[in-house]
Amino acid sequence: MMRCSSRVLLTMASAITVMMIAPHGQAAEPTTGAVPRNTPASTAELKAQYRRPETIPFPKDNPYTVEKAALGKKLYFDTRLSGANLLSCASCHSPAYGFGDGQPRGVGHGMKQLGRRSPTIVNAAFGEIFMWDGRAGSLEEQALGPIRADVEMNMPIDQLLDKLKAIPEYAPVFKAAFPKEGMTPDTIAKAIATYERTVVSGRAPFDAWIEGDEKAISEDAKRGFVLFNGKGGCQNCHSGWNFTDDSFHDIGLSDADVGRGKFLPAVVKMQQAFKTPGLREITRRGPYMHDGSVTTIEAVIEHYNTGGVDRPSRSELIKPLALSAQEKADLVAFMKTLTSDMDPTTVPVLPR
Amino acid sequence: MRLMTIALVAAFAGGSVGAFAAERTISQKGRTFSESDVTVKKGDTLTFVNDDNIAHNIISTSPGNEFNLGSQSPGASSSVTLSGAGEVTVLCAIHPRMKMTVTVTE
Repeated sequence: MMRCSSRVLLTMASAITVMMIAPHGQAAEPTTGAVPRNTPASTAELKAQYRRPETIPFPKDNPYTVEKAALGKKLYFDTRLSGANLLSCASCHSPAYGFGDGQPRGVGHGMKQLGRRSPTIVNAAFGEIFMWDGRAGSLEEQALGPIRADVEMNMPIDQLLDKLKAIPEYAPVFKAAFPKEGMTPDTIAKAIATYERTVVSGRAPFDAWIEGDEKAISEDAKRGFVLFNGKGGCQNCHSGWNFTDDSFHDIGLSDADVGRGKFLPAVVKMQQAFKTPGLREITRRGPYMHDGSVTTIEAVIEHYNTGGVDRPSRSELIKPLALSAQEKADLVAFMKTLTSDMDPTTVPVLPR
Repeated sequence: MRLMTIALVAAFAGGSVGAFAAERTISQKGRTFSESDVTVKKGDTLTFVNDDNIAHNIISTSPGNEFNLGSQSPGASSSVTLSGAGEVTVLCAIHPRMKMTVTVTE
């Protein structure tokens, strides 16, 4: 599926920054290839790879409209999308926690703990594939999954339609967003996906440095950037402006969850492999990893320094790094420059 | 008689392979396919060569042309014959940004 066909310049009230629509855009390009040399020239080249895009990509079959994003935001924050009327999308993907939930693992229907950490939706517009194990190929496909899952929001979609149709003020909002289709499972998914695409990380100190302000980040952080792209090898997976390759890797955590291996059981390297998360707004998004097992950024760096559990499925990119205490501190300093001063998100008034 | 047999085998071989089916090779390097769009005929074979230094896993879930070529180590190659006409999205299940479109004609 070729997904990106339009781009939006938006002032995002909920999230974060200013971006723009332009036709026929492409998503942020992945970066690939060998680790560049750490010369001044290559540092400049490296910095160019991390320059933030000015537009948000929207798919051809679900272009941006103000009305659609407004509807999607209402649905996103509406707890009535759950069977018990207690959980909304925002319960697990809350702006208060960098659009995650701050918990090691998500909590679903009946307050039962789920198997994996709630991933952020920040910069989902730029994603290639969704969920920790990649089982959703688009945000539209993803949007209805947690609603209907009995362990998550526990809301069968046919019953959800009846429920929303019984809320009079929803009908005109759907009509404004989808004049022809009205309320259907497809339009619910499209609206939520459209709102989610507007949630983009703000300009962080790192961006100012990338754009030429040498005082925007500390010398420690600059050294950390070089380590990130050099000795640490972090950019092998955390590549590009959103710091992800949208690929799957076993990074040697002790959790037994097979992750992507469920769909590729014969591929050794996909056992216990999970999608690389982006690193934007990272200090707001702990605890870390798919299982929430690592509580601090310092501990994340230490995990990669040791290389985790050595097993056949572990990525060939993961190996002990022998980082010094200063190098680890520099990497942490760099990571902290990726968090922006996010504007508060305005919670919508919901239809009644 | 022997000459005739050889001629017949050659004729059948030509009829079943040379005249109607072709083979096309696609390289994978730097987590990118060497071609983003190709057009082939139904019955043609695509061979994917891994010229990268990491493993790939080529798949398609496009109706009529579903396949999974499995884990492919650096240096390895795998082939698939496309049996249905239509547009086929081919991607790497490990690195989903690796994507190409194959248009299969009748």
